[in-house]
Amino acid sequence: MIDVQHITKRYGAFIAIDDVTLTIPKGAIYGIIGASGAGKSTLLRMMNLLEKPDSGRVNVGGQNLTALSSKGLREVRKSIGMIFQHFHLVANKTVRDNVRVALELARYPKRDQLARVQECLQFVGLQEMADKYPAELSGGQKQRVAIARALATNPSVLLCDEPTSSLDPQTTAEVLAVLKDINERLGITIVIVSHEMDVIKSICTAVTVLENGHIYESFTHEPHGIKTPGSSSAYFVEQLKGVPRDA
Amino acid sequence: MPDVLVQYQGEIIQSIGETFYMVGVSILFAVLIGLPVGTFLFLCRKGQLLENQAVFSTLNLLVNSTRSFPFLLLVVFLIPFTRLIIGTAIGTTAATVPLAIIAIAHYSRLVEQSLLDVPRGVLEAAVSMGASVREIITKFLYVEARSSLVMGLTTSIISFISYSTIMGVVGGGGIGDFAIRYGYQQFKTDLMTYMIIIMVILVQLIQFSGMTLARWLDKR
Repeated sequence: MIDVQHITKRYGAFIAIDDVTLTIPKGAIYGIIGASGAGKSTLLRMMNLLEKPDSGRVNVGGQNLTALSSKGLREVRKSIGMIFQHFHLVANKTVRDNVRVALELARYPKRDQLARVQECLQFVGLQEMADKYPAELSGGQKQRVAIARALATNPSVLLCDEPTSSLDPQTTAEVLAVLKDINERLGITIVIVSHEMDVIKSICTAVTVLENGHIYESFTHEPHGIKTPGSSSAYFVEQLKGVPRDA
Repeated sequence: MPDVLVQYQGEIIQSIGETFYMVGVSILFAVLIGLPVGTFLFLCRKGQLLENQAVFSTLNLLVNSTRSFPFLLLVVFLIPFTRLIIGTAIGTTAATVPLAIIAIAHYSRLVEQSLLDVPRGVLEAAVSMGASVREIITKFLYVEARSSLVMGLTTSIISFISYSTIMGVVGGGGIGDFAIRYGYQQFKTDLMTYMIIIMVILVQLIQFSGMTLARWLDKR
């Protein structure tokens, strides 16, 4: 699905990504993990050419992105969804309009837009929130709106840049469940960059560990499933003391 | 109503009309040209979508030099240019030329500042969704900056009113000119005071409407 060939990216003298070659199979939930500064986000951002590689090729769904005109690239980007750590929703648009704008950009038929927005919001469980503004939502809800926005145009790939890193454990589980659902029900290939080990462990089917711009190791992985952390006071005490309260 | 206001009613109404005309033209140019200029100032900056050092430096220099003129000197300096496009350098319409030019420079700078406050990530999300530059401007940039753009325009309009008061030097008329000629030069201090009160009320109204509109537009 995504095929990255010998890509290199420098910022001045600093080499962020050094001759990386990577293949992400269709239908995978692919994790990229590594220490901060290892180049995870840069690598992800080259998969839709938000960052242009200095050399090498990026193929997504059989298209060579690096060879496309800027107009061609804009078209391809409509089939590559992306979500971010800080959601990047338009604060002055309602939830509905945030999702709808993706459809407008893709020239989706006007009369079908609202129905499609509703469908996407339903998928992430936020159909009741259509008229709210992002400021009225929790972090987890904002990220789900961002997911709905990214899904609206039926992409084949969803790129996730630290999707849960500004969320608490409870909402992290909530967002991961949505991502897993998207992968299973819609067959969308997902790439997740994260520094959180639990995120990668819980849902990824394959992983690449990056180190200083190189691939340290890539391997397939058996997802452990999403653990919903407790939020009761007893749970906190138990976790901190290491024993159940009434034991 | 005080006698002096009744006595000069005709002139007062006319001068208010002249002020509205001059400020109205300023607003028109601020929005029609200042907004695009400010948008380009923002987009051509280093690291932005249309990064272009030459365009940025040129616009930046033009805006800066226009704004660094003491306004009275700008009016005088522009007389030949005004004569060229209006046919005369005297009168209310002629006065709108320097006002329009300072309006463009003034508002474009405020537009640039408003756009700089839009979170970068929002534009990045727009790019990742395949938006063109035009779509990014209309569907993201202006939407996110709208309340700040309105507040900037409010500030600009109040400056335009202030600028318009000195247009008497080229026969532009307006409330300021009336206050100087009748109130100051003919020692009718009460008349001048009334004119100042009218200006204060006008500015208060504009500020209040601008703030109300901006607050209503702001959902952040």
